[in-house]
Amino acid sequence: MRQDIELEAIIEDYLNGKLTPEEQAAFEQLRSNDPMVDHKVVAHKVFLESMLQYAHVVKLKEQMDMAHAQIDVAALAEDLRPHPSKIIQFWRNNKSAVAVAASFVLLSLVTLLSIHKSNQQEGTFAAMSKDMNQIKITQNYLIRDIKNREANKNNNSRNANNKASFGGTGFAISGNGYIVTAYHVVRSADSIYVQNAKGAYKVQAIYTDPVNDVAILKINDKTFESLPSLPYTIKKGMSGLGEAVFTLGFPKDDIVLGDGYVSSKNGINGDTLAYQVAIPVNPGNSGGPLLDNSGNIVGIINGKENKTDGATFAVKSKYIMEALNAIPQDSLSKRVSYGKKSLLKGLKRNKQVEKMQDYVFMIKVYNNN
Amino acid sequence: MSIKISSSLPTDREVVLGILNNSVEALNKLYVAYFPMVLQFILNNNGDEDDAKDVYQEAIIVLYNKIKSGSFELSSKLKTYIYSVSRRIWLKKLAQQSRKTNNIADFEDVLVVEEDMEQHEQKDMQFDKMKVALDSLGEPCKTIIQDFYIHNQTMQDICEKFGYTNADNAKTQKYKCLQRLKKIFFQS
Repeated sequence: MRQDIELEAIIEDYLNGKLTPEEQAAFEQLRSNDPMVDHKVVAHKVFLESMLQYAHVVKLKEQMDMAHAQIDVAALAEDLRPHPSKIIQFWRNNKSAVAVAASFVLLSLVTLLSIHKSNQQEGTFAAMSKDMNQIKITQNYLIRDIKNREANKNNNSRNANNKASFGGTGFAISGNGYIVTAYHVVRSADSIYVQNAKGAYKVQAIYTDPVNDVAILKINDKTFESLPSLPYTIKKGMSGLGEAVFTLGFPKDDIVLGDGYVSSKNGINGDTLAYQVAIPVNPGNSGGPLLDNSGNIVGIINGKENKTDGATFAVKSKYIMEALNAIPQDSLSKRVSYGKKSLLKGLKRNKQVEKMQDYVFMIKVYNNN
Repeated sequence: MSIKISSSLPTDREVVLGILNNSVEALNKLYVAYFPMVLQFILNNNGDEDDAKDVYQEAIIVLYNKIKSGSFELSSKLKTYIYSVSRRIWLKKLAQQSRKTNNIADFEDVLVVEEDMEQHEQKDMQFDKMKVALDSLGEPCKTIIQDFYIHNQTMQDICEKFGYTNADNAKTQKYKCLQRLKKIFFQS
């Protein structure tokens, strides 16, 4: 027993390098002679190493527990817990991806902006509704003349008492009296009348979409007789660059034909709602139909750029469809039945215009203020 | 939350040098800096705060041993390394508890740490063996052994603490304890 304790102490000192050189030499001698001693040395070495490692880890854990005590785990956990909101969850899970995407978007925005800056269209957008009080006095006279004559003829002073404040163009999208025009034409209207070769009718705006600049009017007039089925259809797809188009409108009191082509797929400053078309237009053309050669409505004229010649803008036809679909159908007395088949296909332009004339209206907006 | 993590972030170099020099402060800084990251990972993957603490401490031990062994190269960020190790440990625990391990929500890049983990698991086994052996030793042996081998007290200190009449008695007692401990340790 005594011996074993001594041996154990010597082995430990030997392994810890605490023996003097002489003692060490003597012990190594003993170790090589006695396999039992050698075995004990090896075993104790393994044990001591394990113990040392164990001691390290225990100490490390003690230190870490102390560090852990400094952390407000409950508050942190509250912050980091899976959030019920999907968006925050998504943001947390994909923070880096979102950040990359965001910086990419930012970068491309900056690039686009700088490209855009260099070739930005300098002009500003001018809505093509006709401000009758501001146009030349000669034209004002002309209109008043007509009205006076009308008033005399019909003994109807309704229109004669008021001057129309604004004018524009509109076109029928169904035989039963629904008319599409540009929203800005009827924006500040107190009352609206439409007029074609057959007569003038009071209308009511039943749907307006200021964003897309589309308005739908309904003729509320007993004297109105339903039109025969529409000669044109509304184009559902996009029109390509260079596609020949024409428009009919009322920049003056007679219908005026404008001819041109789609010159850009986007409107002013890249506005994707609109086409840019090369057609000369004047105040009063706003709201007029833009048709391709086959008699499909491809857009509504809504303005032009005031510093560039021949840059006219037209709201794309798909927003007409959107507007039509947005009207609650049960609020209508009659269904909107727009044309399904174009009757203008293959006709010469003069025939097309002839067939269309009755469906294009001059819009007169009265504003008491 | 990323702001919190980064506000008190020690540099990787600082941490490695600190650990090599046994700096308690460096370890504290390291511990506080990356705990929220691991907590977030665990909380979002079927764990709770206690799981996070266990996993994180184990990961720090892995890192600590790797730095101490001199094989830690600053080729990857400490943050990424800790995250990867914690992730690996947690996935293993989940698998052991046969909880679901698909759809792991990740918050950081992940490194391959298999080699380090194998080494660590071996060491961890040794640690557990020693812990079990010590726990089954009973008092006063456990305390005597811990005082001598872990807290580096001298036989004289132990003799006084336990009221042995002389150092020889204490030595004999320690010897008996040690023999029993070694027996349990090597047999398990």
